[in-house]
Amino acid sequence: MLSGLLLLPLLAIFILNLPFRGLMQKLSLVFGLFLSVWQITFVILLWMGRGGVDYWSKHFTLSLTCDSLTLVLLLSIGIVVLTTLLVSLQTFSSEKQRFGFVNLVLVAMMGMNGTVMLTDLFSLYVFIEITAVSSFILIAFQRDTNALEGALKYIILSASATIMMLLSISIMLLVVGDTSFAAAGKAINQSAGNPLVMPAIGLFVCGLLIKGGVVPFHGWLPAAYSAAPAAASVLLAGIATKTSGIYAIIRLATSVFANNESLNHILLIAGIISILVGAFAAMGQNDFKRMLAYSSISQVGYIVLALGCGTNLAIIGAVFHLFNHSIFKSLLFVNSAAVESQSGTTDMSKLGGLGAKMPVTNATSLIAFLSTAGVPPLAGFWSKLIIIIALWQNGLHTYAVIAIVASVLTLAYLLIMQRRVFFGIPNEEGQSVREAGFGIVLTESILALITIGVGVLFPWIFNSVVMPISSFLK
Amino acid sequence: MTIDVLYLYFLIAIPLAGGVAAFIVPNRVKGVKEAIALAATAVTLWSAFSLFKQNLTLTGEWLSFGINFELRLYHFSAFILCAVAAFSFLFVLYSWSFMWNRPYKNQFYSYLLFTVAMTNGAVLADNLVLMLFFWEGLLLTLFGMIAIGRPGAFRTAIKALIIVGISDLCLMMGIGIAGYMAGTFTISKISLQVGGIGAIGFILMMIGAISKAGSLPFHTWIPDAAVDAPLPFMAFLPASLEKLLGIYLLARISLDMFKLAPESWLSTLLMAIGAVTILVAVMMALVQKDYKRLLSYHAISQVGYMVLGIGTCLPIGIVGGLFHMINHAMYKSCLFLTGGSVEKQTGTTDLAKLGGIWLKMPVTFVCFIIAAASISGVPPFNGFFSKELVYDASLERGTIFYLAAILGTFLTSASFLKLGHAAFLGRMNEENRNVKESSWAMLIPMIVIAAMCVVFGVWNYLPLDNLIKPILGEERLAGHHFGPNTMLITLTVIALIGAVLHHLFAVKVNGSGYKASDHIRHAPFFEGIYNKAENRVFDPYDIVLKVVQGVSRFGWWIDRGIDWIYNEFCVRVTTGTSFLIRAAHTGSYSMYVVWSLVGLLFVVLMLMKRF
Repeated sequence: MLSGLLLLPLLAIFILNLPFRGLMQKLSLVFGLFLSVWQITFVILLWMGRGGVDYWSKHFTLSLTCDSLTLVLLLSIGIVVLTTLLVSLQTFSSEKQRFGFVNLVLVAMMGMNGTVMLTDLFSLYVFIEITAVSSFILIAFQRDTNALEGALKYIILSASATIMMLLSISIMLLVVGDTSFAAAGKAINQSAGNPLVMPAIGLFVCGLLIKGGVVPFHGWLPAAYSAAPAAASVLLAGIATKTSGIYAIIRLATSVFANNESLNHILLIAGIISILVGAFAAMGQNDFKRMLAYSSISQVGYIVLALGCGTNLAIIGAVFHLFNHSIFKSLLFVNSAAVESQSGTTDMSKLGGLGAKMPVTNATSLIAFLSTAGVPPLAGFWSKLIIIIALWQNGLHTYAVIAIVASVLTLAYLLIMQRRVFFGIPNEEGQSVREAGFGIVLTESILALITIGVGVLFPWIFNSVVMPISSFLK
Repeated sequence: MTIDVLYLYFLIAIPLAGGVAAFIVPNRVKGVKEAIALAATAVTLWSAFSLFKQNLTLTGEWLSFGINFELRLYHFSAFILCAVAAFSFLFVLYSWSFMWNRPYKNQFYSYLLFTVAMTNGAVLADNLVLMLFFWEGLLLTLFGMIAIGRPGAFRTAIKALIIVGISDLCLMMGIGIAGYMAGTFTISKISLQVGGIGAIGFILMMIGAISKAGSLPFHTWIPDAAVDAPLPFMAFLPASLEKLLGIYLLARISLDMFKLAPESWLSTLLMAIGAVTILVAVMMALVQKDYKRLLSYHAISQVGYMVLGIGTCLPIGIVGGLFHMINHAMYKSCLFLTGGSVEKQTGTTDLAKLGGIWLKMPVTFVCFIIAAASISGVPPFNGFFSKELVYDASLERGTIFYLAAILGTFLTSASFLKLGHAAFLGRMNEENRNVKESSWAMLIPMIVIAAMCVVFGVWNYLPLDNLIKPILGEERLAGHHFGPNTMLITLTVIALIGAVLHHLFAVKVNGSGYKASDHIRHAPFFEGIYNKAENRVFDPYDIVLKVVQGVSRFGWWIDRGIDWIYNEFCVRVTTGTSFLIRAAHTGSYSMYVVWSLVGLLFVVLMLMKRF
């Protein structure tokens, strides 16, 4: 049934684009919602041991994997896609627009599902590109200058990434003759002296770092996130770039490059630079979504930093933080979507005092930002704690201290955001603002509850859910 | 539990309940508060007297860890209880008239009754922690009673709170040490040697005791309070109750808890504190120009005799010190009451404005004469006999202590000659022409106490044999003779005659009784010291305050520095970095691609270990 996660979105796209346009426009959202809910349910069932090999898998011989890392990612994808669709319900007025949007989201969903399940470098590249192509169009969805510029930046840097990855794959084919993870890993160990292998790895990793928006490969990210329509930025920031960039690095670092010391060093440095640059840049931003974009860079830095640490605990922390990040960053972007849809702007100098007008958005934003900053007992605190403990245990004291200090920076810029947007007295334009619609409020509440729930129940889920994540590390 | 044991609770509970009632009764209901206070103290007095000569103990669970609610009534505590109850009854009677039209009356009476309750508790307590509990309660009522005085008394109240609080802290630490060493907090089971850490424990507890009694250097709040606090407070706490309590505790720790030997250096230390207290305070008293302030310095000076007496560690000195304690409580409270009487009738206690009123206020004047003669040690009043015992013992320990004591007597009498002359005799001030004698409610307590001064003097064997000597017990007194020492009596009489002659001489030189001490005040050597003393240069409180101010100024600068680091430095660094990073994000496509390529270069080079 794993291949169903790839085939069903594809099938849905086909059905939606059959010539009953009028009916399909109405049904599109239902399809999307069904698929995302089904994916969440499926993952949960699989996690609890109720899934298994079935009819589908026997007839489609794609080599799919389904370990703990994949499951976490599939769950995150399901949740964020559901969120995106619920937000789109509120933010797109015309059915035609929404139809196009849902189609693109389904394409991206298929791409992401494929990315996390496939087990060879070339297929990985293909599905990353599927996600990317869908993302280009999602960013440019509104077709104004801003949107086109953001999309173009992404295309240009993404193209660079494509070149790097293709170059790398071709070198691999040349040297190894196979692109599956297992073969590549073996070959790298054996042909360590080959002067082509290391540049190949470097190229692939850099391609992924561009996709993941890690400093200094992040140039496209702030523009793309802030130019995208509200619902699309939830998808992009919440999961799309994490899947195509960060997941892939986790997968490669653990199962292909197998704790290469130099690579770990690179990841540590890239991570810490990302944390600091992202946080400092976020500090002075005037635009709500742009600030969140930089915050995203900073948080991704934590994941990469943990990855660079390389111990089992650190990787658990990285995956856990990835999941948490997909929840709280999606929530923050949903908040920004709510603010944007209600007040018509994301310029923080024009906002203010919305807290009284939008109580749910205010409260959930507070929870999300506290979780991002790593304030106990919310989910973000635990994942950061695991990462910092892992760093400390591994003797990386300087990195651990910088990571802690950067949490203070995170708190600072998000507090600035919260103050400028929600606290204080509303200005004249803000007087008429109301709480966002039901879809958004529901989404916000669900995401906030997940953040609180994971945080508060952490002592219980630590052994039953979080530690078993390490099972994908052979 | 017999009914008598319940009385022990009553002794604490009745004044406490009375205090609460006095606080609740509104001010506009005239006379009820006074009646409640009078009734409560009368019941306490009756209970105390009915329990006299009994031995009772009571143990109840309290805080566990060996800290139980233990009360013990035996001869010493019963004696102190009776004295406390008697004084508080008389002071309430006195206050009826004195406090009639004053503000904060409900607070005054409730603090007074709480004080009685706490004092009874502290005296009865047979557990050090329990005693400390009541002891600290006294600190609060002390603060409250000073604070309700004239406007501005709050500063003095704070001063008293801090000074007494610090000495109570010493007491607390001393209790900790004693309890640790003895393995129990039950006073009657503690018996420790003075040595090593025990000496520290003793000194700490001694500080608590003698500072409660008002000895140097913990005395400086008393003269301030004399001016600021309501007068009955002065007669009540610094003059009588605190002396009783402080000396009671001092006697307990140096006789029962620690076995202090006459030859030990701690004994000498105590005597030295006593001698210095006598002289320094009496020198200050001599030059005061205010009735109450002058008395307050004597209240400090006389503590010196008690500490000196107990410090000798000789039975005769201890008996003398304890006898002096009860005598002092009588004559000093009587003196304060005469001061209150004068203040109430003339509206002032400034000696410059008083004078010549002895015919207007004959009863007050006679009471003053008796009390002043007692404090000066004129035979046959009570002060003479207790001082003789202290002289005897101090002479045995060292001539220098005796000389300090006799010099103290000389100066005391000189200053009371001056006070009496300036306040009651001399030329009458025009404003005082219509002064009348005080009301009976104020006179009765004075007369009763003055009469007691005479009784305790003339029939001094009565209190000595019935009250004081049983405290030490037959065993310790065996082989000691308490008879009169002709040589000492002669020397005392010479000192007193000297004081009279000095006074006559001083009046002649300086022109009036009011200025009788001016030649000492302006003597070449003393002038500088007095000036500094009046500017509070020697006040430990002010010295410590200055040091604390210096420290806090230093701390303030450090705090500014830390604030600057957080509020300025960090913010500037952060905003500066933030600005630089944002400035680097120009939005240029080519720039971003270049960054990526440079990043790629670094990654590849690092992977190939070229770095």
